[in-house]
Amino acid sequence: MSGGANDAGGKGTMVTLTIDGRVAKVPEGATVLDAARAIGVRIPTLCQHEALEPWGGCRLCLVDVTKKDWRGWEKMVVSCMFPAEDGLAVSTATERVVATRKAVLDLLLARCPDTPLVQKLAREYGVERTSYRENPEPTDCILCGLCTRVCDAIGVSAIATVDRGAGKEVAPPFHEAPPDCIGCLACAEVCPTECIPYQTSDSARTIWGRRFEMVRCPHCGRAHITREQATFYAGRGGVPESYFTTCDACKRTQMARTFTTLSAVR
Amino acid sequence: MNGRPCVDAAPLDEILAHYPASETALIQVLQDVHRAYHYLPCDVLAKVADALDVPLAKVFSVGTFYKAFSLVPQGRTIVRVCTGTACHIRGASRLIEEIERQLEIKPGETTEDMGFTIKTVNCVGACAMAPVMIVGETYHGGAEPAKVAKYLAETEADHEN
Repeated sequence: MSGGANDAGGKGTMVTLTIDGRVAKVPEGATVLDAARAIGVRIPTLCQHEALEPWGGCRLCLVDVTKKDWRGWEKMVVSCMFPAEDGLAVSTATERVVATRKAVLDLLLARCPDTPLVQKLAREYGVERTSYRENPEPTDCILCGLCTRVCDAIGVSAIATVDRGAGKEVAPPFHEAPPDCIGCLACAEVCPTECIPYQTSDSARTIWGRRFEMVRCPHCGRAHITREQATFYAGRGGVPESYFTTCDACKRTQMARTFTTLSAVR
Repeated sequence: MNGRPCVDAAPLDEILAHYPASETALIQVLQDVHRAYHYLPCDVLAKVADALDVPLAKVFSVGTFYKAFSLVPQGRTIVRVCTGTACHIRGASRLIEEIERQLEIKPGETTEDMGFTIKTVNCVGACAMAPVMIVGETYHGGAEPAKVAKYLAETEADHEN
């Protein structure tokens, strides 16, 4: 959906809406957040990632929407999931939108009092310190679910949320080294607060308490992928494992060489 | 897993035979597993994940999400005492004290012979019957401490049958 999935070859239907009084034209199927970004209106987000389906979990991207025939009625929606429609009038900074975002950040700051990203966003909304009781066991995890969603999207699903309510956390099954993990680091990469620890070197990589052996690129010798990653990708795509053990830079060099040879032949 | 001994897989095979091998059956399978084993043993969860083709992390996530599921062994009979407002006022604490005395365990604990687990619940929605105590599947409304031994003995008799 994100980025306008229906925008096939630029010939899809376009919709026109206004955001803070400015006109935005986006392909049908784009979200209000997509439209805002297209015209440079900033809406804060934490759980959104362009590579993943919108989730609507962090509630920071709330905006007010209305239409002419709604007779003055407005509703607050999460812009990352709300589809852009013709004639929609979006307000990204009304009093109640700002107040709600402030409340969300106040709660996040209570959960994560020491997390720089949360502190920064909260400060932008005038929250220096949480008005709630600070979490006695501060965590950097905001439970945005990006790590588990990216893991699912890759088709690995090594980690998931565990427990519910105040005790909810992201963890591998049984809190043990996850058997399904391939050590790709996508979870750590996508984490907005960088709270998933890992170590990686030329010989080994450790994440979620599991150790992975690194594979070196047969051409340049750079250790860029784990054995499990190469096997997983090869098994899924039907492409030989050597394709994945070769690093991207060497792949490009090889490709360039192929083209040079081809043009020489021609 | 966890170095614990493997549990008997026969009940699981029977449970799995009743359901399609798909993610949609996950919760029903876990409920049946819980009924058969009185908890969700970790090696059984791994087999469920395999059989239904659901990632183990998802199975663990569901298993830890619902309060109806436990990952630690539970007694054959769960004794639940309602501690909602109405039950509290009508003497839930005296009921708990009596059950603790009879079974020699505290709420959340399980007797050594794995016969009983005591749990307190916030409200079972049967306030007119307060105080309510549930032994296994039997609801006892207007429960009295003096009758606790009888309530417990009734299910013990069920176990022996």
